[in-house]
Amino acid sequence: MEENKGGAEMYSKEFETIFAYAKDKTDDIEILLSAGNSFSVKINEQNVESFNYADSKGIGVRIITGGKVGYAYTEKFDEETFKRIVDEAIENAKYTEDDDLVIMENYPENKDCPNVYSKELDKVDVSDKIQLAKDLEKYAKQADERVFNVPYAMYADGKSYSRIANSKGLDREDTQNYAYSYVGVLSAEKDDKRMGMDFLITRDFSKFDPKKMAEVSVKKSTDLLNGLPVNSGKYPVVFNNEMMATMLATFSSIFNAKSVQEGRSLLKGKIGQKIADEKVTIVDDSLHPEGFSTSAFDSEGYPTEKTVLIEKGILKTYLHNTITARKDGVRSTGNAARGYKGTLGISTSNFMIEAGEHKEADLFNKHDSIIEIVSLQGMHSGANAISGDFSLGAQGFLWENGKRKHSLKPFTVSGNFLQMLSDVEAIADNFNFDISSNGASSVLIKELNISG
Amino acid sequence: MLNENIIEKVIDKALSNGADFAELFVENTFNSSIAFNDNKTKQNIVGNDYGAGVRVFYGHTAIYAFTNDLSEEALLKAADAVSKAAKGGDVVTSIDLTKRDITNIHKVIIPNNTIAKKEKIDFIRKVNEASRGYNNQISQVDIRFMEKNQHVMIANSEGLHVEDNRNYSRVYVSSIASNGTEKQVGGEGPGRFAGYEFFNSIDPVELGKETARVAVTMLNADYAPSGKFPVVIDNGFGGVIFHEACGHSLETTAVAKGASVFVGKMGKKIAFDKLTAIDDGTMPNEWGSENIDDEGMETKKTVLIENGILKSYMVDKMGSLKTGFARTGSGRRQSYKFAPASRMRNTYIANGNDDFNEMIASIDEGIYAAKMGGGSVSPGTGNFNFSIGEGYMIRNGKIAEPVRGATLIGNGADALLKISMISDNMEMAQGMCGSVSGSVPTNVGQPAIKIDEIIVGGRK
Repeated sequence: MEENKGGAEMYSKEFETIFAYAKDKTDDIEILLSAGNSFSVKINEQNVESFNYADSKGIGVRIITGGKVGYAYTEKFDEETFKRIVDEAIENAKYTEDDDLVIMENYPENKDCPNVYSKELDKVDVSDKIQLAKDLEKYAKQADERVFNVPYAMYADGKSYSRIANSKGLDREDTQNYAYSYVGVLSAEKDDKRMGMDFLITRDFSKFDPKKMAEVSVKKSTDLLNGLPVNSGKYPVVFNNEMMATMLATFSSIFNAKSVQEGRSLLKGKIGQKIADEKVTIVDDSLHPEGFSTSAFDSEGYPTEKTVLIEKGILKTYLHNTITARKDGVRSTGNAARGYKGTLGISTSNFMIEAGEHKEADLFNKHDSIIEIVSLQGMHSGANAISGDFSLGAQGFLWENGKRKHSLKPFTVSGNFLQMLSDVEAIADNFNFDISSNGASSVLIKELNISG
Repeated sequence: MLNENIIEKVIDKALSNGADFAELFVENTFNSSIAFNDNKTKQNIVGNDYGAGVRVFYGHTAIYAFTNDLSEEALLKAADAVSKAAKGGDVVTSIDLTKRDITNIHKVIIPNNTIAKKEKIDFIRKVNEASRGYNNQISQVDIRFMEKNQHVMIANSEGLHVEDNRNYSRVYVSSIASNGTEKQVGGEGPGRFAGYEFFNSIDPVELGKETARVAVTMLNADYAPSGKFPVVIDNGFGGVIFHEACGHSLETTAVAKGASVFVGKMGKKIAFDKLTAIDDGTMPNEWGSENIDDEGMETKKTVLIENGILKSYMVDKMGSLKTGFARTGSGRRQSYKFAPASRMRNTYIANGNDDFNEMIASIDEGIYAAKMGGGSVSPGTGNFNFSIGEGYMIRNGKIAEPVRGATLIGNGADALLKISMISDNMEMAQGMCGSVSGSVPTNVGQPAIKIDEIIVGGRK
């Protein structure tokens, strides 16, 4: 990746070449560039298991000709290839039959975006990064004698640059960096083996506390040991904050206006209706200072915003790009999403269910018997965002009369996501973002099916 | 793809700090994809993936760097970076590459990207019309038509220098059935390690109808029950159970770290006596096949389990160094953006001799999983899950009413021993498998099998 010299846009020669070539051949063109570098280190038995260095870039074009859209991309950067992708995109457009009106514009600029880049982070010495990963493994092994393996002890960081420009004069760029680390441990007692993980994503290297992360992951693993079988049936269920965020992310496409318009969402025709308990407010906020999906503009260069999707149980809007918004006669919410290798879609940014007022412990006092879920498996296969139905592998605990009684052998939890939003009984105040910028607090659900 | 002189310089540079081994992987890939829904060709994209990865070993430490810039200067810079990440012993210099021609065992008749777009769209339209025509409850059909042509060059400090050209063709169809309040999905994604002749070999009408049939059947089905049941899992994608319950835990990526339930089990009984499982990269034109793996080794047929006894892991180069087991040609990666790791190819349970009808007849109350969805596993604990795509109750020895998708969970070491019958209708199905070295095409497969007891995550 090139150095960013004094705020001047990078890759200007490449953009100029493509714009010049496309000028007389297309009605409009948008160029999206992503470039970045990244580093990661994994530790096994106090040795470096792997080092990875990446230096990557790619450029994608989206063109409009005769009202039709075509795409092409390349990772090979030379003039001949740039011209070829413009021609290929034009050829592709000929076969597109989409009748949605697509327009490119010079959208206004968002002036107030939180800082997403830390100069200090770029200066961290490699030896400190390696030491952090080694410490994660070391402390994890020391924390409890039941730990028999630390399969994951790693640190990674990276810096990414993106630039989007179109033939209407829009030109935006963004530089971000990040660092994350995770540790995964396996512990065993008798025949029971359990995995525990902890992670941190930050731009401040001093925030990494390997001892604490190791201890948290070990506790997550060992707490689950000696699980007893659960009696299959219906139970009140608490998803801890991490698993509630996972559930939310898994079903996020129900808010996607493209899914709605194409008949793939449960929320079609439900704007203004009560679809969740009134305690539920769900928000997508591209400008959240603590998220790692923060950006002032989306993949069309449209300014981003904080969008309230569900307010006190009422569905307020879907997530839009300009194309779906035009079709619905509303404004874009700035959720256009596209990588240089992909086509234009919609995605969440920092996506969250707002915190409640309860202490987490209070949730467990609301019923005599409650199942707490701290781990879920099979999100990509056992959850169906089109029907809302889910049946997932799970791990967790049985609570009785406000006390955590014991761990459970792996079980399944099943239900329907929309029903679950209506059955929210209480939301805790322990809000947290997961590693993918989905945020939630622990949530008590009135009833779900448990099988074991 | 690259001048041999430059390749040698890059490998020499990578070795210059005393590394034990150095490798250069170069890729030039053409991707093409058409997305169709709402009765229309919505999105059309083509593109070029292009880059190189340099890998060195210092003992059991692997260092990897990749770049999109294939100039001599950029490659030497990447080689320099990996060489300096550690310090080795004696420096081996001036390697001597010998370009080796590989034997192509997967013939391509019509290479990708040589057929007009119109023909592809005609194929897609036939699938769409067949699905919608099946039943008026079909409310949406999503079709993705994908072609990939991956040209790779692999060279290493042992003198290896090989190139291969890989053609992949796949169509994915997902039909949605709706009755106004509920929606259910049926999906199929046939693919081959082959050119356009693959699309000519499949019937678009049958493909469309089949996805519609599953969606409509599931829309009109009740929920599956909860609890422990005997289960018959049919062939094809049913093989995902072996892939998740066992396959991942037999990759040296997990075994070398001790993070697999099958560590130390070589030569021991780990499964039902009649179970033989194979991972085979040599099956002509199958989705998970290759001529060479992504470390340049000829792919192989590897018997993993024979009559219940563990015979082999799936071993890549680093896995071989760490575990002492011989390489099996299993080093795979999604692209130059990933260092290779031991991965599955076409993995299946071999045919047994139990009669399918007898399997069903042996169950008073249980589940028949006609089609499976995906799944996942935690190799360290062996806990796996996978979902039923098309299910039925078995009552009094007969297949009864359809039941909606439920997840099945279990433990790998356990489930393999609970298999009690294996039929003779082995078939494979295509999937994309995600792991440390990215997402790679793999086949899963099996004949119908009976598992005596597994947890069914239903809602009744």
